Amino acid sequence: MTSSEPPSPSVDWAALRNSQPRFSGMESGHGACQGCGQALATRLVLEAAGPDVIVANATGCLEIFTTPWPQSAWTVPWIHSLFENAAAVAAGIEVALRAQGRKTRVLAFAGDGGTFDIGFQALSGMLERNHDVLFVCFDNEAYMNTGIQRSGSTPHGAWTNTSPAGKVRQGKRHFKKDLLAIIAAHGIPYAATASVAYPSDLRTKVRRGLDIEGPSFLLVHSPCPLGWGHDSALTVAVDRLAVETGLFPVLEMERGHVVETMKIRNPRPVREYLELQIRFQHLLGDSPEAREEREHLQALADANIERYGLRAEAPGPRDSEGADTVRRGGSRWG
Amino acid sequence: MGIERDGPPSPPRVTPGGFAFPGTTRSNHTGSWRLERPLYETSASPCHGACPAHEEIPVYLDHLAMDRPREAWESLVAANPIPAVTGRVCPHPCESSCHRGAFDAAVSIHSVERFLGDMALREGWSYPGFDGEKRDEAVAVVGAGPAGLSCAYHLRRFGYRVTLFDALPEAGGNCRVIPDYRLPGEVLSREVERVLAVGIDFRPGTKLGRDLSLEDLEEGFSAVFLAPGRQKNRSYSVDHALPGDLHHGLDLLWEWRNVGTLPRWERAIVVGGGNTAIDLARSLLRTGTREVHVVTDEELPGAPSQPGRGVMPAISREVGMALEEGVRIHPGRRIGRLILREERVVGVELVHALKEIEGQTPVHRAFEGTETVLEADAVIPAVGQEVDPAGIARLLRNRTVLPVLATGQVEGETRIFAGGDACPGGGIVSHAVGSGHHGARMIDALLRKKELSPKTPPTPIPYSSLNRVYFERRPAFALQEAPPEARDGFSEIETTGPLPLLRQEADRCFSCGHCLECDNCWTLCPDGAVLKTGGRSDLPVPYVFDYDYCKGCGLCARECPSGHIRMVPEP
Repeated sequence: MTSSEPPSPSVDWAALRNSQPRFSGMESGHGACQGCGQALATRLVLEAAGPDVIVANATGCLEIFTTPWPQSAWTVPWIHSLFENAAAVAAGIEVALRAQGRKTRVLAFAGDGGTFDIGFQALSGMLERNHDVLFVCFDNEAYMNTGIQRSGSTPHGAWTNTSPAGKVRQGKRHFKKDLLAIIAAHGIPYAATASVAYPSDLRTKVRRGLDIEGPSFLLVHSPCPLGWGHDSALTVAVDRLAVETGLFPVLEMERGHVVETMKIRNPRPVREYLELQIRFQHLLGDSPEAREEREHLQALADANIERYGLRAEAPGPRDSEGADTVRRGGSRWG
Repeated sequence: MGIERDGPPSPPRVTPGGFAFPGTTRSNHTGSWRLERPLYETSASPCHGACPAHEEIPVYLDHLAMDRPREAWESLVAANPIPAVTGRVCPHPCESSCHRGAFDAAVSIHSVERFLGDMALREGWSYPGFDGEKRDEAVAVVGAGPAGLSCAYHLRRFGYRVTLFDALPEAGGNCRVIPDYRLPGEVLSREVERVLAVGIDFRPGTKLGRDLSLEDLEEGFSAVFLAPGRQKNRSYSVDHALPGDLHHGLDLLWEWRNVGTLPRWERAIVVGGGNTAIDLARSLLRTGTREVHVVTDEELPGAPSQPGRGVMPAISREVGMALEEGVRIHPGRRIGRLILREERVVGVELVHALKEIEGQTPVHRAFEGTETVLEADAVIPAVGQEVDPAGIARLLRNRTVLPVLATGQVEGETRIFAGGDACPGGGIVSHAVGSGHHGARMIDALLRKKELSPKTPPTPIPYSSLNRVYFERRPAFALQEAPPEARDGFSEIETTGPLPLLRQEADRCFSCGHCLECDNCWTLCPDGAVLKTGGRSDLPVPYVFDYDYCKGCGLCARECPSGHIRMVPEP
C-alpha cells in the first residue's frame, strides 16, 4: 500500500483503462476545464446508470466539451438537438422504445439554462405527459458555456457578466428560481437534489430515479471553477459548503412531498462558502451594502434549513458529515 | 451554380473538412494542459517518527484493519521481534504523537501491538524473511536483553552468522525483572525463545571481562555489537550511613524472579522515581509488606509545576496504578538522615527537596527546617544502575556510559558498535530494540563496504495535510483493566479484547501520509485520469495517474484524506 514509485513505462494504459471496475459512459480526453464539477457529475451519473441507456443532451458546456468534432467522449448512444428541447427529444425516444418493447432507459441531460429557463417548457411537458425519463440538470448557476451570463438559477448576490456588482447592485438582484417547487407541482413519482461532494448519495439517487417508472428529475449542484471563480482543486470542498451552509438543500421528493433530506450536522456560516468564490468577492467587504447582502444570503440559507428541517438532531451516517466518511480498501462508494 | 434541369443529377461532392472518421476523445491528450502534476507520495506518519523501535505503524494497522492479522504481525516484526513484550511495557510515545489525538482520541496502538504479539504466540507463527543470501561474516553480540536480541535477530535476517553472549543463564536482560502483573514471564520467554530460534548461537553464562575479552571478540568476529545494559547498582548512602542489611531494588526484583521470595516488612521505604522503584513497591505490597512508601525528589509524572523540574522517569500509567493499589509516594522529598539503632533502620528523616535539570546534570536541593520523621524497618535504594566497566573499560575511558556515534559505532572504533541502555539516552525497551536494529543495519553496511549513513529522522506529515472531513469520530478501544481491589497477586492486570474490536481500533488510524485505498481520488477525478491497478503484479500500487489525461486540477490532492497525494510543478 505504500509505494510512490512511478509506474513502469511498459504499462499497457489502454488495457488498464479498459479493465477498470466501473462503467465508463464518458471517456477521458474531453475538453472540460480543470476541476469541472459538471464533468465529475456526468461521470458519476453515467457510472450509476450503466451502459443500457440513451442520452438526449441540451446545448451547453457538456454538449460542447464531450463532442469536439469528429470525436466523441460518449460510449452510450447520445443525441444533441437544440438548447430548448432535450426533454422533448428524450420523450420521443422513450415513446419509440416503448413501441418497440425495449427496456433501454432514457436520460435527458441539461444545464441550468437548459432546465430552469430555455428548456423549461419542454421539461414541464415531458413531466406532465408522464414519460419514463430521468431528467438530470447539472446546475452550475449561470450560462457558463457562453461566458457566464445570469440564469434563473443564479443565486441572489452572485456576480455574472449580466449581473455585475457595482454601485447600484450587489450582483444578481433576483432570487434563484425555486425550481423544485415547480417540479413538485407536477406531482411526478421522484425528484431529488444531489451534490458532487456526496458521490454515493448522488449515485443512489440516479439508480432510484431510473428504477421508478415514470418521469423523474435530478438536480445536481455542479461547481464551475471558471464561472464561480474558485481554485480548481476546491470543486468538492466548495460544493460541500454549499450543502453544509444550507444554501443548496439535498433532498428527495415523491409525488411532490419531501420524503428525505440530508441533515446538516454542523451548519457552516455562509461566509465560508462565499470566501472561496470570486463571484461573491464583492460581498466580503465592510460596506453597508456588502454586509446587508451577506446577512441576506445567511437568512436565505437559514430559511432553507428551517423550511426543510435540515438541522441534524444527532450525528448519523447519512448526514452531511457521515455521508462522505471514507472506508479503507475502497468499499466506500456504492 | 443553378439547378440543372436536364441531364442526370451530379453525385454529392464532399468538400475538404466536411468529412472525418468518428473517433473517441481518448485521442485527445488533455494532459498537455497541466501546469502541476499530482504524485502519490508516502510520508512519514508521526507515530513512526515517535516510535523508538521505528515500527511502520500505519502499515500494520492497515493490514489488521483489512483482516490480515498475519501480514500485520509480519510487518510489525520487520522492525521489532518482540511485540508481545513492547505492547505491554512500552510507554508508547507513538500514541502521544498520534494525529487522531487532536481529532478524538489517539489510536490505541499498544493494544494492537500487544494483540498481534499474543496472536502470533498463540498461533505459533514464525518470522518471515529468513531466506536471504547467506553471508560469510560472523558477528558477536554481547548482552541478550532487548537491544542485543534485536541486533542479533536483524543480523540473522541479513544473513550473518551471529553469536550472542550473556552473563546470565537466560536471555531477556532486565525485561526479566518486570513483574508478571505487567509482563508475564512466559510471554517474555516465548518471544525470546522464538528470537533465539532464528539460528542465533546463544552462549549463556558467558561474561565479558570474565570469560572472554573484547580482544577475543575482535579477533574472532568481523564486528561486535555491545549491549551490556546497566547492571551495576549506583552506590547509595545517606551521609555515608547505610543500613546493615542493605538490599538494592533491582537485586530484590531479581531475587523475586529467580528464587520467588521477597522479605516482608512492616513499613518499607523505596528510594527512587524510576520503574524499578515502582515495580518493587508494588511487588512488595503484593507479597505481604504492610506499607510501602516511595521517596523521590522528583515530581509526579504529568504536568510538572515548573519547567526544568525533574519528573519521575517511571511510566506515568504505572505510577497511577501504584497509587491506586496503595503505594504511598512522596514526591519532592528526600531522605535527609537515616535513623539507625545498631545497624537497623527504625526510621528516616524526610526533608522537602527538589531536582532541577540545568543543562546535562541534575541539581538536587534540600531545604533545612522541613524535616519530618517516617518510621520504617527497611530502606531500599532503587536509584538506578550504571554500566559495569568489566571488559569494556578501554571503551568507557572513565565515562559512565558507552559513547556512540550516530552510526552506532563506539567512539574511536570501527568494528565495535553499541546500543541499548549502556549508551546515552534510552531507558525503555522499544528504544533498545530500535538501537539493536540500527546497529545491525550499520554493521551490515560496514561489512558490505557501503557507506554508514544513519537514517535522518523523517519529518512527520503535519495534521493540516490530512483532510479530516472524511473521518468520523469514534471511541477508542481500551484494554480491560482489573480494578485495584481485584488485582490478584501477580496475574496480569490488563486483558486484551477479541479480534473484531482490535480490527475496529486499527481502522481508526488516519493512515497519515499512507494510502488508505479509500477510492477518493479514483471517484472524484473529473477527467477519469486516476486508474485503479487492482493488484497487478507489475504495478505494486493501488492507483496510478494517467498523465495523458490528468489536467492537474489538484482535486485529488485536496480531497485525499491521508495526505498521500502531493502536487508538484510540471517538469
